[in-house]
Amino acid sequence: MTEQRDNLFESPLRGATYCGAISIKDYTNKRRWGFRGKDAATALRAEDWSLPDAPNQVVSANEQTLVMALSQREFWFLDPRTEALPKDAKDDAFTDGMYPLFCQNSHAWFVVNGDQTSEMMAKLCGVDLSSDAFKVGDVAQTQMALINCIVARHELDGEDVFSLLVDQSYAEYALEALLDARAEYL
Amino acid sequence: MKRVSNQYFGQWVNADEKVRFTFEGKEINGLAGDSVASALIANNQWLQSRSFKYHRPRGPLTLCGHDANTLIQTPTTPNLLADHLRAEDHLAVSAQNYTGSLHFDLSRLLDWFGRFLPVGFYYKAFFKPRGIWAYWEPIVRKAAGLGVSNLKVKAPYNDKTYVFCDIAVVGAGPAGLNAALHAANSGAKVVLIEQEPHLGGSLNYHGFGYSSSSRATPDRNEKPDANKDSEIGERFSTAAVQRNNLVEAVESHPNIRVFRSATCNAWFTDHYLPVLQGTRLLKLRARQTILATGSSEQHVVFRNNDLPGVFMCSALDRLTRLYGVIPSTPVVVLAGNDHAYRTALSSKDGGANVTAIIDLRDRCDDSALSEEAHARGITLFAGCTVYEAASSATGHALSKVIVHRFHSDGEAREKVATLECGVLAMSAGFMPAYQLACQAGAVLSYDDETAQFQLSKLPAGMHLAGSVDSIFSFAAVEASGRNAARQAMRNLDAEVATDEDEKFTCNEQVNHHWPFVKHPKGREFVDFDEDLQIKDIVNATRMGYRDIQLVKRFSTVGMGPSQGRHSALPTARLVAKATDRSVNETGVTTARPPLTPEPLGLLAGRRFHPLRRTPLHDRHLCLDAQMMPAGSWQRPAFYGAQEQRAAAIQAEVNAVRTGVGIIDVSTLGGIELRGPDAAEFMNRLYTFGFAKQPIGKTRYAVLTNELGVVADDGVAARIGENHYYVTATTSGVDRVYRDMLKWNAQWRLDLDIANVTSAFSAVNIAGPKSRDVLTALGCDISLEADDFPYLAYREATLVGVPTRMMRVGFVGELGYELHVPSPYIGVLWDRLMEAGQAFGIRAFGVEAQRLLRLEKGHIIVGQDTDGMTQPDEVSLRWAIAKKKPFFVGAKSVEILSKEPLERKLVGFELGATAPQPKEGHLVIRDGDIFGSVTSCEYSPTLNKIIGLAYVHPDDSASGAEVVIRTDNAVHVHAHVTDTPFYDPDNTRQAL
Repeated sequence: MTEQRDNLFESPLRGATYCGAISIKDYTNKRRWGFRGKDAATALRAEDWSLPDAPNQVVSANEQTLVMALSQREFWFLDPRTEALPKDAKDDAFTDGMYPLFCQNSHAWFVVNGDQTSEMMAKLCGVDLSSDAFKVGDVAQTQMALINCIVARHELDGEDVFSLLVDQSYAEYALEALLDARAEYL
Repeated sequence: MKRVSNQYFGQWVNADEKVRFTFEGKEINGLAGDSVASALIANNQWLQSRSFKYHRPRGPLTLCGHDANTLIQTPTTPNLLADHLRAEDHLAVSAQNYTGSLHFDLSRLLDWFGRFLPVGFYYKAFFKPRGIWAYWEPIVRKAAGLGVSNLKVKAPYNDKTYVFCDIAVVGAGPAGLNAALHAANSGAKVVLIEQEPHLGGSLNYHGFGYSSSSRATPDRNEKPDANKDSEIGERFSTAAVQRNNLVEAVESHPNIRVFRSATCNAWFTDHYLPVLQGTRLLKLRARQTILATGSSEQHVVFRNNDLPGVFMCSALDRLTRLYGVIPSTPVVVLAGNDHAYRTALSSKDGGANVTAIIDLRDRCDDSALSEEAHARGITLFAGCTVYEAASSATGHALSKVIVHRFHSDGEAREKVATLECGVLAMSAGFMPAYQLACQAGAVLSYDDETAQFQLSKLPAGMHLAGSVDSIFSFAAVEASGRNAARQAMRNLDAEVATDEDEKFTCNEQVNHHWPFVKHPKGREFVDFDEDLQIKDIVNATRMGYRDIQLVKRFSTVGMGPSQGRHSALPTARLVAKATDRSVNETGVTTARPPLTPEPLGLLAGRRFHPLRRTPLHDRHLCLDAQMMPAGSWQRPAFYGAQEQRAAAIQAEVNAVRTGVGIIDVSTLGGIELRGPDAAEFMNRLYTFGFAKQPIGKTRYAVLTNELGVVADDGVAARIGENHYYVTATTSGVDRVYRDMLKWNAQWRLDLDIANVTSAFSAVNIAGPKSRDVLTALGCDISLEADDFPYLAYREATLVGVPTRMMRVGFVGELGYELHVPSPYIGVLWDRLMEAGQAFGIRAFGVEAQRLLRLEKGHIIVGQDTDGMTQPDEVSLRWAIAKKKPFFVGAKSVEILSKEPLERKLVGFELGATAPQPKEGHLVIRDGDIFGSVTSCEYSPTLNKIIGLAYVHPDDSASGAEVVIRTDNAVHVHAHVTDTPFYDPDNTRQAL
């Protein structure tokens, strides 16, 4: 297994970090998982998970984990402080009415923060992400630079940040678009 | 010219900072803050361009970018406006649309032959004799183009950004500033858009201080002294203080975002406003829009009203107040309203030698203004007009105007005077900047009694403020701005508490009812852009074009860069008179986006080209892969140098046929179907039977649409009783996934559908030695054919990686597709390559794969099928379950199957040395086009050319001959043959 750990989760971005007035960090190797299905909400609450009250919201389920509700029956768990483990990428068994999702494998994850992040994102995304319209705890399933993107605004280490989740095959492209948009704010 | 720079004159320029640029190769000295046009005038360069049709000399008309008289170009960009372009050091500016030089334009001859170029000339000429247009077209096109496009210039970096707000205020004059401030104070998020680099609009330049309330009438011979300066200051200070207060409050307000030098170029549904600012296009989404766009000053139509030096009164105001350029030649003002008097007085106070005011009316409405003008030594010619303007000896500048008595019926009478002058400022009235409102569906009406305009039937959420609403007195303008904000706030939130609307009145008469002075020699210009005179418009009506829209199309009036700002009203008046109707009945031409010319690059914005990479991308590059696009993906075409392409592909094919090869198939679509109804869903969606598909087996899955057309294909693996993993084509998976969601929204079956294309990555290891490589790698299941036969599905662990394994035969050899969670694919690839070294493993690309599958006669949906292909045409009848009651497209397939086939996809072959057909080459039958080649390659394995083509069903039997038209119209005779071309007994893939 050691061999696999060393080679596991080859984020196409290799954990890149870009600091500055707007910072962009690759969180693709951080842990995340999810469930979908008609019984998902009930089952998760039975396991004492605090879920958002409505779709397109993100809440802190505990000190470690954020929970995003992408619909009434789809929930993603983001653990920005923990490196993903091999088991996180495995194809988990499912029960009828509750199906594990493959978000660890399918999506790249960026964390972006800085005072002008929403202004920068306006160059890439047609949703109003300003603090008045898109508050901490809000989630938007939208497009960024012509590709699908889940945008979540939440707190991380005391800072107001945006998590961006895009199809992992677009990871380099998305990073390139973000860096280009960010250039005028350096 | 004199230059001044103080708090009232020359407000936008800095006298301490010089700039130098060139115009037509000549060095021009200007001041920081100058526009190119103002700097040129300051250097006595009134001639700045040539007109479109007659190449007449032209100078600025509005000095605010609202006309085409200042079209100039830089080395990189044609069709810039000199009155909008800032003067900067090292700028190289030249005029355009001339033959020879700007001052000696040989094309000026066209003006002399103008009588032979009447309105509609282009519609009447060039079409006879038949075919002559081919001769004239290049000449006309060359003449029609303005400026020169530099095709070698590097495209500027343009981009776009969204902006969101509650209320968008367009225009930052007194109305717009008041509207923005009031709305922001009420809690709204406001975006304020201003075309100029400074806020304030007319507060920056208009002589609001000259009115009946300001009756100081100094002696006409009074010399400038401290008292005079103080008095002048008093004239301007009120507006200046008001402007400064407003601007400061707006700029410091946290709820207001200001965009300067920005043009709101259109209005679209739901208050979507494209705003041009430099190299950026703002896509503004507002909930309410307040138009404080002002109004366009109108010219007087008289002979030679286009001479450089003849311009609008507001242009003279701008020249003196904003840029501090004070004409040293005599200045004459032609007035159709009281505003012109304010211009005369203001310019006089700035130091201009204003000698006369010629008033089209019999008297000034505000007698205080005429009294003051008289007292200041300005000669008044009431009830008179400029009959003709005359040029200097060069023909490039105004030298005098001839004044005639002007009767209220619009006829010029006897000559009154000849006035020497270098500048003539005119104002016949103001027309609302109605374009954005009318784009939104508003109606512009005209009161023929008062000669005033009114905009009505505004769309929900749009409001007007200031002179666009025909409100001109200062206090009323400000109040209208605040009222517009109140209305917008009420619309935003009915609960919000707003104070009552302010009541105001404005009876100011700004429009002269008939500012036309017909001259027997013509050249009274109605439309400067298109060189259209009074007779052109009138003649258009005489030719039967009575409707204003037809007049526009026939004469091209209003079609130039000014978009009718100055020509719409005089045209409507001329058409109305010529057709014996009112202006209101005649109407004005339709306003359409865009408001101003916009660079296409700005609309394109930054070019986004989303490209997908598999997790193995870098590994492919390390192996010298030549990448190619496959949909949005980048895939290796082959491995090796470009010049070794054929040899590389051949070597890759040989490796698969004789040893082992590996290809990255991560781009294959992957869809998970999980739940109690997964089998039922598969059975309804795909053509084959899936209800009884055994667990651990794969099955070829063909998807037809409701029309019975082959839409996609893939392999379905049944992982469990309620679990399928289905592959789809690289380019088709998104559509397949979307269709699945759509169908299940109707069927409401109990399952989950997940697109896992990116979650799983895959390789296909193929060739007679592929099993040996996997065995050497170490696999926790038996790979023997009996235990893991062809078309079986297994789950195994390879080097610790959980792997979905499928025995497939796409390339016609023993092969395994290995699907793993994407983060694992890198390590799996590396270990496979290491383990395969001993067996001569070689990575192969898309080109080799295409040839290998062609040898097996396997079709690629999308390449060998088109939007009409039915299963029988591509021999897929075997993949359709006969006993199923339903699948998507079943009814259509059944109906089609009862009809005789119209074409058939067949295999064909040619000798190795024959001209090789290409994809798309035509199949010829009886001398006519019948079908086409869909795939064709030279097969090194078979040493012949093989391919697939659509042919007539009568030609589809093995051994038939078909004719294919190849490059250079060479016809080759190919033989139809059964497929597969290679290993027809399918023994190799079932090893």
